[in-house]
Amino acid sequence: MSRRTALQIGVYGIVCLAILLVPSFVDDAFILNKYARYLVLGILAMALSLSWGYAGILNLGQAVSFGLGSYSMAMALKLRTVPVHTGKAGLPDFMVWNNVDVLPWFWEPFYSMPFALMAGILVPALFAGLFGWFIFRGRVVGVYVAIITLAALVVVNLVIIDQQRFTGGFNGITDLAQFDIFGLTFDAYSSSSYYLVAASLTVCLFFALAVTKSKAGLIMQAIRDHEDRVRYFGYDVAFFKIFAFSVSAGIAGIAGMLYTIVMEFASPTFVGVPLSLSVVIWCAVGGRQSLLGAMLGAIIVTGMQGALSESEIFLDTWMLIMGTVFVLVVLLMPKGLAGAAEMLADRLFGQGQGKIADEVETAIPVREKTSGETGGSR
Amino acid sequence: MSGPTTIGGGNGRDHLVLTDVSVDLNGFRAVDGLSLKVAKGELRCIIGPNGAGKTTALDMICGKIAPTAGEIVFEGKRLNNLEEHEIARAGIGRKFHVPSVFRELTVRENLDVAYSKHTGVFANAFCFGRGAERDGLEKLAEFVDLQNHLDFPAGHLSHGHTQWLEIALLLAQDPELILMDEPTAGMTVHETQKTAELFNRLKIKHTLIVVEHDMSFVKEIGEVISVMHLGELLAEGSVDEIEHNPEVRSVYLGSGGISGA
Repeated sequence: MSRRTALQIGVYGIVCLAILLVPSFVDDAFILNKYARYLVLGILAMALSLSWGYAGILNLGQAVSFGLGSYSMAMALKLRTVPVHTGKAGLPDFMVWNNVDVLPWFWEPFYSMPFALMAGILVPALFAGLFGWFIFRGRVVGVYVAIITLAALVVVNLVIIDQQRFTGGFNGITDLAQFDIFGLTFDAYSSSSYYLVAASLTVCLFFALAVTKSKAGLIMQAIRDHEDRVRYFGYDVAFFKIFAFSVSAGIAGIAGMLYTIVMEFASPTFVGVPLSLSVVIWCAVGGRQSLLGAMLGAIIVTGMQGALSESEIFLDTWMLIMGTVFVLVVLLMPKGLAGAAEMLADRLFGQGQGKIADEVETAIPVREKTSGETGGSR
Repeated sequence: MSGPTTIGGGNGRDHLVLTDVSVDLNGFRAVDGLSLKVAKGELRCIIGPNGAGKTTALDMICGKIAPTAGEIVFEGKRLNNLEEHEIARAGIGRKFHVPSVFRELTVRENLDVAYSKHTGVFANAFCFGRGAERDGLEKLAEFVDLQNHLDFPAGHLSHGHTQWLEIALLLAQDPELILMDEPTAGMTVHETQKTAELFNRLKIKHTLIVVEHDMSFVKEIGEVISVMHLGELLAEGSVDEIEHNPEVRSVYLGSGGISGA
């Protein structure tokens, strides 16, 4: 293990520990719920960092995976509500309003919580896998990937809104039971849900870190850097991209499930374009090439948004302030907060890339320069 | 024109066979009916004036461009419609004219990627410890004089170093057939010399096809030289034969003859 990896694991561990310790200092259930929500969005941004920052796949449809996870959990929790909350014959209330008589076949398995948990991860991952198969086998790259994924998001969003009888349409799925598993019940407004989210975040973060530290993770970065070159080493680029895309979708699915637990409903806005584009901004602010950076970016931005929009002083101007912050960060810190932090650490400890770059310049004797000097293609 | 088996250093078995290969690039026949046989363990040089189709020929062998006619067979396997990674897995490696490395990754990471014995996604997803391989890769870095740059991003390397890094990547990949497109471009005389030594060492175990302009370098390493002109094979033979071939001389006319090319 390199020193850098060890350091990284240390920093990640400290951040996760700090997140897990928050309930020891905060006693307000409402605030804990709010923090839990930010953490969930942090997981979502971290998932995007895996595909965008590491494999170079700008997925503007990240909310598809998030929404699929969210709806999986909502379906399971809806079926667990006490009969008084459901319609006749145990049907969810909105189905009764829409004259549905029998529970649709695809709702049936959601009586089982283990199935719902599996579905919340596997449905987004498989959907992304299939979708990715078409995109990446067809060698669609760059901005076109962004356009296609955005289009897919809009389609999924419209289908969910349109199929009101099965999905609750615009209203989403509301009035849910509390999530319980292994005899533990997770009240959205309690430290238990916060711990659930924080623990999931820790697991997801370290899982994603492991992926990036594996050789597959290295190959993903090579693909981001110079896709064509990777092929000539015998790697099937499409499958590595599908892998990154699917793993990212699976993690986003977990985030979606947690979001339903914390918010106590699922809504088409979770599969919305505004949310999906926000994730990209969080990643950019935090630093897309750092899992932790993207995660903290989401937490900081959503936290700031929450704080500013709730305070009376900034009631009218908070959006302007957020916009200014985005512009400044993107202009001044192209690698986001994580990039800035890394640079700062390098300055302080004097062993970073910037310094190395200078050393290389002096260490390498000047050679015959040719016209091919500017060669490196991207 | 004599066959490669009579004067070549290979063991006589055909490793790569191009039969009547042509490619049409939007109406321009960059390679036109090229036939080429390269024996296993041979070091073949391909020379020719600009636009002769040398690089395009390499592009077709490694799958970057699909030939529109003809057949490319490597170790009895038809390569025509295979994808780049399938051709690479069959045992063909390529060094590009413009040094082509992963500029955002460190030298060490570049070598790690190039070491591609296992190409599957899941085999690599569970691959963390690379201790044994790392030893080999560090030796490789030492061999190309990059041992002090292992942890620097490849984008910071000089042009010459980048050339060497790409050569090292090929050595890490360890393909049976190595395609080199102007490997000495931008190298000093000393480095060119070193490259020649390297190629001479590689050739028995590997088959090499080298596209080169530098005639002194070709003389140093070349056994059989194939001369291409306007997409076709113009001549094939030993250095001596090529130098005295009147057709070759006329093609290079105005550029001071072949030795001045």
